[in-house]
Amino acid sequence: MRKVWRDVLVFTAVAVAIPLIIILLIRFTPLPPVGEMEYAREIFSMAGKSRADTYSKKLYTEAKIYYDSAMANWNKENEKFVYFRNFDKVAMFADLSAKKASLASENSISSTTNLIIKLKQKIDTLNNLIIDIDDLFTTYPLTPEVRTRISKGKMLLKEAEIAYKKGQYLQSNRKLTDSEYLLTASYENSLSNLKEYFKSYPLWKNWIDRTINESKKNRDYSIIIDKFSRKCIIYLNGIKKFEFEAELGKNWVGDKRVRGDNATPEGMYKITKKFERSKTKYYKALLLDYPNAEDMMKFKSEIARGTLPASAKIGGLIEIHGNGGKGIDWTEGCVALTDKEIDTVFKISSVGTPVTIVGSMVDLQYVLTK
Amino acid sequence: MKNKVLMGLAAIAMVAVLSSCGKKPQVEIDATNAAIEAAKTAEAAVYVPAEFAAVQDSMSAIMADVAAQESKLFKKFGPAKIKLEQTLAAANQVAANAAVKKEEVKKEVGTVMTEIKAVIEENTALMKKAPRGKEGAAVLEAMKTDMATIDASVVEAQGLFDKGAYMDALNKVKAAKEKATGINTELKDAIAKVKGKK
Repeated sequence: MRKVWRDVLVFTAVAVAIPLIIILLIRFTPLPPVGEMEYAREIFSMAGKSRADTYSKKLYTEAKIYYDSAMANWNKENEKFVYFRNFDKVAMFADLSAKKASLASENSISSTTNLIIKLKQKIDTLNNLIIDIDDLFTTYPLTPEVRTRISKGKMLLKEAEIAYKKGQYLQSNRKLTDSEYLLTASYENSLSNLKEYFKSYPLWKNWIDRTINESKKNRDYSIIIDKFSRKCIIYLNGIKKFEFEAELGKNWVGDKRVRGDNATPEGMYKITKKFERSKTKYYKALLLDYPNAEDMMKFKSEIARGTLPASAKIGGLIEIHGNGGKGIDWTEGCVALTDKEIDTVFKISSVGTPVTIVGSMVDLQYVLTK
Repeated sequence: MKNKVLMGLAAIAMVAVLSSCGKKPQVEIDATNAAIEAAKTAEAAVYVPAEFAAVQDSMSAIMADVAAQESKLFKKFGPAKIKLEQTLAAANQVAANAAVKKEEVKKEVGTVMTEIKAVIEENTALMKKAPRGKEGAAVLEAMKTDMATIDASVVEAQGLFDKGAYMDALNKVKAAKEKATGINTELKDAIAKVKGKK
């Protein structure tokens, strides 16, 4: 009987001891920072959704490194005996990861917003720049290299706009930077050439005033060729009577310096001969007294200074003639009008009619503002 | 005496069973990671970024769950195993979706490429008919430069296409097509104007 009681007692003791041990084991087991890890993961995921991996790469990478460190430490602690585990480092890394991910997220949203605004502004600015370039330089003899750079700049801008519409802002930004470089450099370079060219405007203005006054004084016709706007303007008694589109030498910017430079000369000239249809291959022609004394002096001075080779020859046979209307500057230095227009000019002009050729009748400021 | 020994063994067995009833699902983890890696190789991050991020998030949560279970005295990997199976299936689906999307983009590049070549051909023919009077010829000269740039862009796009960078190729060829179509419209308008005058 006693033996039975002893067995019951032992059984009860074991039955109580085992759950007690289990409870104690559970109670004193160090707990991992599950909540902190979950929070860090959620914040990190949010950072990913706000594209921090692209727009706040440094902070996002840091957040990822901290999260991975937390996981690595957690797994390392798990390998230890249950009571020797310490999850402090795991919690610390989880906290750091959450903070960095949160910053990355904020930074990304703010960077993206700013970038979108910046990109939109840049796209608008470059589109306006293209309008300016087209307005100013479509007929300006830019070098093929500059034309190609402008064209490439336009294409890159188009690519940037497509990337922008797709939300690929970094790609759009890269394209815009390249486009901006090509377009701005081409524009500034061309504008600087134009400014240099327009430095002669005071002289042109003087010639224009003198030519108009002469027409007024003599009560006769005078002709002014405005190279920049490609106009041939006929004055009678100092008042504008006709205005025609003119086509010039292929390389019309600047004064004519030497034979074969395809430039249209600038200066105050007079008609020296009139060629009827049978005497010219350009329908009808009015020969000018180029080179005049001033042109000869400039040419000789260039030879003397060595800016032109000693073997260089001065040009000649500059005319206002027909066969124009091609819509391009194609002559070797002459001024071309349509046959119908040269008929009019031919009719009103005579030997001695003044012909003044200038770079522009208006100043650069006016050209740029217009 | 025999009973005591049996009781002791039963107690030890109970503790052992309770404390190690789950085994880390390493095979499933490796398989899921391999599936995610395969999705990455299929450029899921490029073609289906949101879906790929969701799978990565899911895997990250599972790994935290597994670690949490490993920290426990009585481990339970059953729910993690189920999630791993789901994520494995999702990763396979993402890889398949990425391949489909990639094929779609590839096809789109091919279509735009064919279209742009037709537009370029048409533009070359239209250039010959375009009016050259007034400022027309100067504009045509500018157009010629633009057409050369378009040609170069198409060559670049083809290079990207051949390298398998279909997204980049698509952006490039689309920009070139827009430009070529713009020129096409300008040329047609100019020709129509002249015809209207006659």
